[in-house]
Amino acid sequence: MWRITLKGVVAHRLRYALTALAVLLGVAFIAGTFVLTDTMNNAFNGLYTRIYQGTAAVVRATQPFTPPTNFTSQRQLIDASLAATVQKVPGVQAVALDIEGYAQLVGKNGKPIGTVGNGAPTLGFAWTDVTALNPFRLLPGGQPPRGPGQVVIDKHSADVGGFTVGDKVRVLTQQGSRMYTIAGIVTFGSADNLLGATIAGFDPVTAARVLAQPGKTNAIDVEAAPGVSADTLVTRIQAAIHTPGIEVVSGASVTAEGEQTVHQDLSYVGDFLLAFGFIALFVAVFVIFNTFTMVVAQRQRELALLRAVGASRGQVLATVLGESAIIGLIASAVGVIAGLGLAVALRAGLAGLGISLPGSGLVVSPRTVLFGLVAGTLVTLAAAIVPAWRAGTIPPVAALQDAAAEPRQPSLQRSARRLIVGALGVVVLGIGLFGHTGYSVPLVGIGAAAVFIGVAVLSPFAARPVCRLLGAPLAYSTSGTLGERSAMRNPSRTSATAAALMVGVALVSMTTIMASSVKASADSTITSALRADFVVATGTQAGGSGGLSPNLERSLAALPQVSTVAGIRSGVVKVSGKVTPVVATDPAKAAQLVDMGVTQGDLATMTPAGIGVSTQVASSQHLHLGSTVAVTYPTTGTKDYTVQVIYSVRDVAGDYLLPLAAAQANFPSSLDIAIMVKLAPGVTANAARPAINRVLAAYPNATLQDQDQYKASQTQQYNTLLNLMYALLALAVLIALIGIANTLALSIYERTRELGLLRAVGATRGQLRSMVRAEALVISAFGALEGLVLGAFFGWAVVDSMRSTGVTQLAFPVPQLLIVAVIAALAGLLAAIAPSRRAAKLNILQAVTTE
Amino acid sequence: MQRTVTSGPATGTAEIAPAARIIDGVKIYGTGAAAVRALDVISADFTASRFTAIMGPSGSGKSTLLHCLAGLDRLTSGEVLLGDVRLGDLSDKAMTLLRRDRIGFVFQAFNLVPTLTARENVVLPLTLGGKHPEAAWLAELVRTLGIDDRLEHRPAELSGGQQQRVATARALVTHPDLIFADEPTGNLDSRSATELLTQIRRAVDEYHQTVVMVTHDPRAAAYADRVLFLADGRVVRELLAPTADRVLDAIRELGPE
Repeated sequence: MWRITLKGVVAHRLRYALTALAVLLGVAFIAGTFVLTDTMNNAFNGLYTRIYQGTAAVVRATQPFTPPTNFTSQRQLIDASLAATVQKVPGVQAVALDIEGYAQLVGKNGKPIGTVGNGAPTLGFAWTDVTALNPFRLLPGGQPPRGPGQVVIDKHSADVGGFTVGDKVRVLTQQGSRMYTIAGIVTFGSADNLLGATIAGFDPVTAARVLAQPGKTNAIDVEAAPGVSADTLVTRIQAAIHTPGIEVVSGASVTAEGEQTVHQDLSYVGDFLLAFGFIALFVAVFVIFNTFTMVVAQRQRELALLRAVGASRGQVLATVLGESAIIGLIASAVGVIAGLGLAVALRAGLAGLGISLPGSGLVVSPRTVLFGLVAGTLVTLAAAIVPAWRAGTIPPVAALQDAAAEPRQPSLQRSARRLIVGALGVVVLGIGLFGHTGYSVPLVGIGAAAVFIGVAVLSPFAARPVCRLLGAPLAYSTSGTLGERSAMRNPSRTSATAAALMVGVALVSMTTIMASSVKASADSTITSALRADFVVATGTQAGGSGGLSPNLERSLAALPQVSTVAGIRSGVVKVSGKVTPVVATDPAKAAQLVDMGVTQGDLATMTPAGIGVSTQVASSQHLHLGSTVAVTYPTTGTKDYTVQVIYSVRDVAGDYLLPLAAAQANFPSSLDIAIMVKLAPGVTANAARPAINRVLAAYPNATLQDQDQYKASQTQQYNTLLNLMYALLALAVLIALIGIANTLALSIYERTRELGLLRAVGATRGQLRSMVRAEALVISAFGALEGLVLGAFFGWAVVDSMRSTGVTQLAFPVPQLLIVAVIAALAGLLAAIAPSRRAAKLNILQAVTTE
Repeated sequence: MQRTVTSGPATGTAEIAPAARIIDGVKIYGTGAAAVRALDVISADFTASRFTAIMGPSGSGKSTLLHCLAGLDRLTSGEVLLGDVRLGDLSDKAMTLLRRDRIGFVFQAFNLVPTLTARENVVLPLTLGGKHPEAAWLAELVRTLGIDDRLEHRPAELSGGQQQRVATARALVTHPDLIFADEPTGNLDSRSATELLTQIRRAVDEYHQTVVMVTHDPRAAAYADRVLFLADGRVVRELLAPTADRVLDAIRELGPE
């Protein structure tokens, strides 16, 4: 039987080619994701190893907990004078002050270099002359930075900004904005920069002043004398310092910590991308199922003949399954290889964006290959089970009968079972979305998949009437009528083909509805809550790095046109066991700038010992005015605050609002992520704008936004994510189109005689092409319609489940949704290109004489 | 109702202008050693308003002749004239339009488009050209052929005989210059076959249609005005006013294959 299986694959290779392509694309995406994340992990590992390769020990402040952010230091500063003590410890070769902080380079055009806020970080650091402790290398012609007016910058920034040694460059720090002379240009090993971060290096005294505090440092890095092990050195330094709140760790463990953080971050990215890979494979299931169903029907005589000459049911079933296994394996293998290509392309894309990965080849782990092969093959096998089973039930007598029996109408009994699948899906989806089970992501995935399958298996009932309706506009021409009728001829086949497209359209529609709802909610909150006339924004998110020097807030407050100014700071803390970003501001000023929907207490009278909490947290944690909330900072440990305000609008501050004093004492950064500005009475926005802009001129990373601009910028951040998701979902749609093309190609093969007849009685090639296009259009319109309806349902369910996170508006962006559906339906025409050509090229004679 | 052959004055030598002619037709399938000469320098005229049957053993080239006459296939050399139109000069598109407007077909099987109703199948050549049928003509056709009560049915719901009659109605609906029938009774029981042949005969007698039919069946051939016998790609004998017995005799005389 194995030989028959092999020959079956070879004989039908063309029919299986598109199926294989569907699997291939899904596997390629998954493999590409693995390779990319592994490669980036490896790059970061190399990075940390390189940074700390000469560092035997690090002296730094202890940390009550480690927040999940990298690059930004979340520890308290320590006294730089400790370095002298460490230097005296036997076995210490050299020490260096490890100071880092926010430093934004400004280009000659006045625009910040590098992507601000959500992009790679903008790092300032202290230059050390101890080569072993300095990961950077000066390019020839450069000198180390000396004195308060000199800086070294990374080569990528120099190239982008057009800077050379001796030029002046503006640098923004927490101390404000000032010009520095470029003493040198540095590289990081062979890479021009640090994975896209911009670098500004100062001498240690200047660094302490502009990045940290005078006389302080983030850490002290220690080089060991020859022959002294890191562990020995760590023990000796510990004994020598012996100060509470200060720890000594080996360079190796700092490397490991950094790698750990990066692994975690990358695994989020990887999981996000993998989800789309699985969606693609899920869509491929429909395509595979359909192909095998059609091929089995077309080979009914051949398979029956096998039965007639003595093959058992099991053997016939095994033949078909075997074919699917071979196709799955081949497609997966090619898919894994294509995944490598994808990873190479993505890496080139990253390089194009200015993120250079320090010299490291692609990492292809055995897991990547194994997972790709197994996932692709299993998916193909699973999708072929039902068709294979049907193949087994073909009676031997079918060998003598005419092939291609007319399709049966789906029976009521089977439809009851189908209904159950769909209903179960809705239940699981509901539990996943609203059930707080802790497994919400897999539950939502499984539930949604079950709903998709349920709808797909139920839709043959709707296929005929709906297709007639959708095809009605096509009936003006004979080709249109013929195409529409062909689409209706086999409702099960049409439904399975359309189902693949349905999945993609449903997910796109859902995403669109989600995004619109989030935007609408944010819009309405800003409209109702924002009392400020202007917001000075940086694009930095809560918990992110970078921001505006507090000097800016003071300068703005000094303007006569302005009545109230409040800077907003952000940090990461742990409250009741949960790590969360929080914001801090001056509560009395905030009371005039934002309507936070205060239900109890008064912002104006909130003290430095007070904290504001949202009504939600208040009710879930049983807090009331006067309750104590323990907040743990990564820098300074746990502090107690008294609840003095309870507010209902979470969109501004989240669940906790801290007083400015808490930020000044405990946040590692003294930068504002945004500043809110209220004008003096009688001053118009237009009148105040020039004065404010003059102050902002020195801060190119700041943008002045009125309420409308602020709203637009808030929704802008969703657009990037939205576009990314659209791009990723395009893969699922592409696979669905392959499915449509495949169904059309197979069905044209089945209808050779009918097409020949049409040609004989006078249908032109053009009319046959139109007919196939019309059929594709009806199928894709059916899938798009189903997807739209399901997407609306999913969108509603997801938005409803997000109610607690402040998404209170459910928005159906009808024009966008219609555009999505129309594009998807028209995409069916793309799928019809090759099959319609094939139909038109058909040799009439062969068609009318086929026996 | 009648429509005479309107193919122009033509050559003027014949008393009645032939509806179709094949002149020195050669058709070779394949190349080299595998080449098969299906038509071997064949010439024949098909007079308008006459019913011609083509007979011959398997492989004699009768189906190939029909395909080439009907514009479904092209000769390797020689000429086919439909009226005064040289088929060899026509593009694929022009040939298609010619089939649509001037030729009718009745095949042995798979005559109808399964997704269309009987009525839609009958008027298909017209609707493909964006035309509407003459209501009176259509009504007369379906009544004469006895399918007027089956018009809204799909082919799967019709008997074999009914399907062939629908196909015949489709062949007649455009008033074609020529109707080609390829074993139209091959899949029918004898009663249905007799009915169908009677209808085709009436189309010639009453509507002055020109019919060319390929058949194996001497009784079917007996409905024709003349029978052409083919062997090895050539016309080997012509029989006028045939009867079933005379056809059988002729076959016997031509010898077993």
